[in-house]
Amino acid sequence: MDQAQAIFFAFQIWCSIGALIALFFLTIGIDRIDEDAQGAYVFRLLLIPAILLIWPLVLWRWFILETERDAWPNRHRPPRHAHFWVAIALAVFIPVIILVSLSVRQTWPVDFEPQKLSLLEERKS
Amino acid sequence: MSVKYIPVQWNNNKWKYNAVMLASVFAYLWIFIFVTPDLMSNEGRINGAVHNARAFGSCAFLMLSVILCIGPLARLDNRFLPLLYNRRHFGVMTAFVAITHASYIINWYFAFSPSNKYEALLFSNTSYGQLSGFPFEVFGIFALFCLVILAATSHDFWLKFLTPRIWKRIHYLIYAAYISVVAHVGLGILQDQQNHTFTVIFILAAIVVATLHVMAALHEKKHGDPLAAESGDWVKVCETTDMQEGYAKIAQLTAKERVAIFLHEGKLSAISNACAHQNGPLGEGKIIRCLVTCPWHGFQYDVTNGSSPAPFTEKVPTYNLKVEGNTILVDRHANEPGTYVEPVPLNIQGAAA
Repeated sequence: MDQAQAIFFAFQIWCSIGALIALFFLTIGIDRIDEDAQGAYVFRLLLIPAILLIWPLVLWRWFILETERDAWPNRHRPPRHAHFWVAIALAVFIPVIILVSLSVRQTWPVDFEPQKLSLLEERKS
Repeated sequence: MSVKYIPVQWNNNKWKYNAVMLASVFAYLWIFIFVTPDLMSNEGRINGAVHNARAFGSCAFLMLSVILCIGPLARLDNRFLPLLYNRRHFGVMTAFVAITHASYIINWYFAFSPSNKYEALLFSNTSYGQLSGFPFEVFGIFALFCLVILAATSHDFWLKFLTPRIWKRIHYLIYAAYISVVAHVGLGILQDQQNHTFTVIFILAAIVVATLHVMAALHEKKHGDPLAAESGDWVKVCETTDMQEGYAKIAQLTAKERVAIFLHEGKLSAISNACAHQNGPLGEGKIIRCLVTCPWHGFQYDVTNGSSPAPFTEKVPTYNLKVEGNTILVDRHANEPGTYVEPVPLNIQGAAA
């Protein structure tokens, strides 16, 4: 239970830091690094959940764009070769998981009728 | 996008796509809950909250399976490309269906104790050392987090801010999420399933997803874009006879970089094959009035300068090219996005009409 409390507390802290960063990014940062965001406000509310969850990435990209270190060729080099490894992973993990799941499945003994324990108690009395 | 951001960019096709999607989800939930209550009811041992949780959970699993089938189907056959369009709305809706499933579970199984219900979810079963009775909830939590991250980063702002490359890498989480969901279902509901209709549906859906991905990977390996022959700065990409008016030939310059060479009005132009929006394959689009249209989401670029028509401001890199005899060569150093390159005339007799 202590570990569960610690995990839940850490998650709350993580999201709180994200909320603080969302406040600064959506009011100051976004206008500085993206001209398409200038004068557009409603859509910013949609960005809040992502900032809460991936705020370290947001900070890193904000720094890259603020300091003009973004390498434009990288924007046009998609990681397409990863499709092959995804196919391998799906082809290996999915059948293994299904087989393991079916093999550990327990069934009720054929010749044993389930009985409610409360009824047994009543019969004894 | 290159115009001011708005929450959701709607058009007629998106309305239709979403209407069909919503109607399908409601139809599935209605059939599951009201028409076939025995499908997963385990001989009437469960109550309404659990039945609803299972309806939403199985719906999310099937939606995720369909989403994952769209990509490989589109790679195997161009006729499935329209399904790719607007897939993000499909993903966001799947996340909401999955959240509803989780809410029903948490508010039933973990809500009636003095402990915080989210903490109870984490500590109620900690038998991580055994397969039978494994805390399958942890797979569901992981998958739900993945789906929420994907849905939360689905706005076009994130594509531009993170770059399509990083955005795509984040969105590869969908595969980890799917494997996790298969484990969540397999070690969870499958262990207690008495009516095997859903068991068959579950196994079939998961196997179809895996098989389609393998087929698409093999297809890509066999029919993928050829690797350009390199010699110095100029690389040979194809023959003049390979070109067809209004269409492109795609060649791989490196493992990650592809160039699309277009033949338009008898002249050759070369731009990056990766659309600035989601890195869709521009070379698979057709030229209309000097503009190539990305087959994924309809973004357009002038093939001579790699720029989108006003008011849009998307740009892709261009490449210098030359023709030597019957061979088309491309300078492997891309020009900055939006750089005009004079189209190179092609001997029309050598090209397919």
